Amino acid sequence: MLEELLEDIAQKNGLREVNTYLKLIAGIGAIILCLISGSLIPPLFIAFLLSGAVVYLARVDAKTYAELFILPLWFAFMSIAGIILIRGGTGIFWQWECIEGFTVSITRESINEGALVFCRIIGGISALCFISLTTPMTDIFNAFRQCRIPDEVIDLMMIIYRTIFILMDQVIQIYHSQIMRLGYSGYRESIQSFAMLCGAAFISSWDAGDDLMRAMDARCYNGKFAAFGESRPAEPVPAVVVFFFLALSSAVVILSGPVAII
Amino acid sequence: MSRIILEARDIRYRYPRGMEAIRGISFHVRRKEKIALVGPNGAGKSTLLMMLNGMVRPDTGMMLFDNLPVLYDPASLRILRKRVGFVLQNPDRQIIAPTVYQDVAFGPTNLGHNDTEVREAVTCALRHVGLDGFERRPPHQLSGGEKKRVAIAGVLAMDPDVLVLDEPTSGLDPSGSEDIIELLDELNHEGKTIIISTHDVELAYPWADRAILMKGGEILQEDIPEVAFGDPEYVRSAHLSLPTLLELHRELQEQGYPVQDKKPRTVLDMVRCIEQLLQKPCYSNNLGTITVCNVDTDNLGLVPGWISYRRDISVGAMGTRAKQYAENSRIHLGFTYGVIDKCILKALLGRDTLILTTSSMVARVSQRVNTYCTESGVHIPVLPFALSKKDADENAEGPS
Repeated sequence: MLEELLEDIAQKNGLREVNTYLKLIAGIGAIILCLISGSLIPPLFIAFLLSGAVVYLARVDAKTYAELFILPLWFAFMSIAGIILIRGGTGIFWQWECIEGFTVSITRESINEGALVFCRIIGGISALCFISLTTPMTDIFNAFRQCRIPDEVIDLMMIIYRTIFILMDQVIQIYHSQIMRLGYSGYRESIQSFAMLCGAAFISSWDAGDDLMRAMDARCYNGKFAAFGESRPAEPVPAVVVFFFLALSSAVVILSGPVAII
Repeated sequence: MSRIILEARDIRYRYPRGMEAIRGISFHVRRKEKIALVGPNGAGKSTLLMMLNGMVRPDTGMMLFDNLPVLYDPASLRILRKRVGFVLQNPDRQIIAPTVYQDVAFGPTNLGHNDTEVREAVTCALRHVGLDGFERRPPHQLSGGEKKRVAIAGVLAMDPDVLVLDEPTSGLDPSGSEDIIELLDELNHEGKTIIISTHDVELAYPWADRAILMKGGEILQEDIPEVAFGDPEYVRSAHLSLPTLLELHRELQEQGYPVQDKKPRTVLDMVRCIEQLLQKPCYSNNLGTITVCNVDTDNLGLVPGWISYRRDISVGAMGTRAKQYAENSRIHLGFTYGVIDKCILKALLGRDTLILTTSSMVARVSQRVNTYCTESGVHIPVLPFALSKKDADENAEGPS
């Protein structure tokens, strides 16, 4: 499964031992730079650098990375199509008044904006992939705790994170048992089976909730969740690399200025 | 005889909707005992176990811990649960935190220990169950046996006097089950009282000090395993099967063979039984020796050389740390379960054996071997692992 795959990779990646904050600063900094950039070049430049880091430094299999990368791009294509058709503008290439008072059109401005948003998405995906493939969730929880996010929120996040895998496991098992008995052979059956799947998953998660309370009670739960206190110091070399990455990207953002493709 | 630590007096319990799960049960558990609760599904084993740490309150009757009635206010329950650790059947339900460290630290943190104490407790508990270095791993990446160990470590970290385990071997492969049973044995040797529920008669029979057979919310039989499992009628009505050794012994008796009345609990006992039947010793004239190596104190650097010098020696490991050491130093283990008995059997065949074990279990080896020797009138030497000068010289020359 996808979420398990991400965690597996994150646990074993080559940048696992690098300080969490450095990785988060690089990732979040990259997202911000992508958003403020007025041209197509900086997001692509950032995506290129971060993808290189993921494949060469974190040693993530390039094929897996490409698959992960392409998945959200499908959603991006749909949004971009929407932007291009609805944005409007002056340099009209094509337009169609589909309903009285509502026109869809393709214009110079809409194409430019669509291209810019698309590049920003590519930059954003690469930054998110960089964070999720190099930093396991547990390290992120730790960082949250240090950032003074309320304990209740973090405890909840941790329990949810832990139970997602168990629930997914159960859902997969139920799904397989339905497929084995031809549960999804037709439209009607699919709807029925899916409803049963949801019901069963709900009941089993309710049960799991009861057991969770029991397990916590049996260990004297008193409102406290242990923190995993281990945090790695920020070493000079990665810190300098992150600084240069952000400085270089900022320079590209500033120098490139607003650029349009047409 | 040691003091009673847990006691139930005529307890009854009915589920909110309907059937009576426990119908007037009285029993007691002594300190450092190993108790196996056996019975079919729905016999009330899990409910009974959950009463031991106050998760379920009996409708009538009384539970006692350390000869004092169990109180059900939050403060008393906290104390009780610290002293009676409970391990659920499904480790996925027991493990609640996203990393092994956080899960094992859950109990000590809630008991109010400071960070250093928590870290010590976690390190110690993980070393006990043989999971050093697993601190950062997320539980969903562990195997079934490892998850079970994490669940046990989570309870061990609170340093309870009594460990209650609901079906500790369910869902594990045979060797995983044996490892868990061995671990429980080891914990018992360190002074913990252990209560388990199980369907696995073959595992419970040689392991338990006492077995409690349950059916329909009542106790059918409560005694040492030979007696508790001795009556086929009871065993059948509890939907269980007779342990193979008992069945074999019984069958031999019924066929009119003059076997001893003492029922065999281990393969070694059975071999002796047959030996007496044939009226001639099975063993050779040159008995082998059993060498005991304590992995906590002995000079481990010399062990691989020592073993490679004695090509035909069989090595067994008892205790989690010993097994871990063997795995790390790539020592091939001939046996990992029922080690002492198997070594005695090898010794009877004239073969030498080496037992890798931990401090808490060293004494047990000579104890068991001595008991066997007195009973059967043979002498099997138990040697400490210390290199004599001759051995050291031979080692220095290296195996030829």
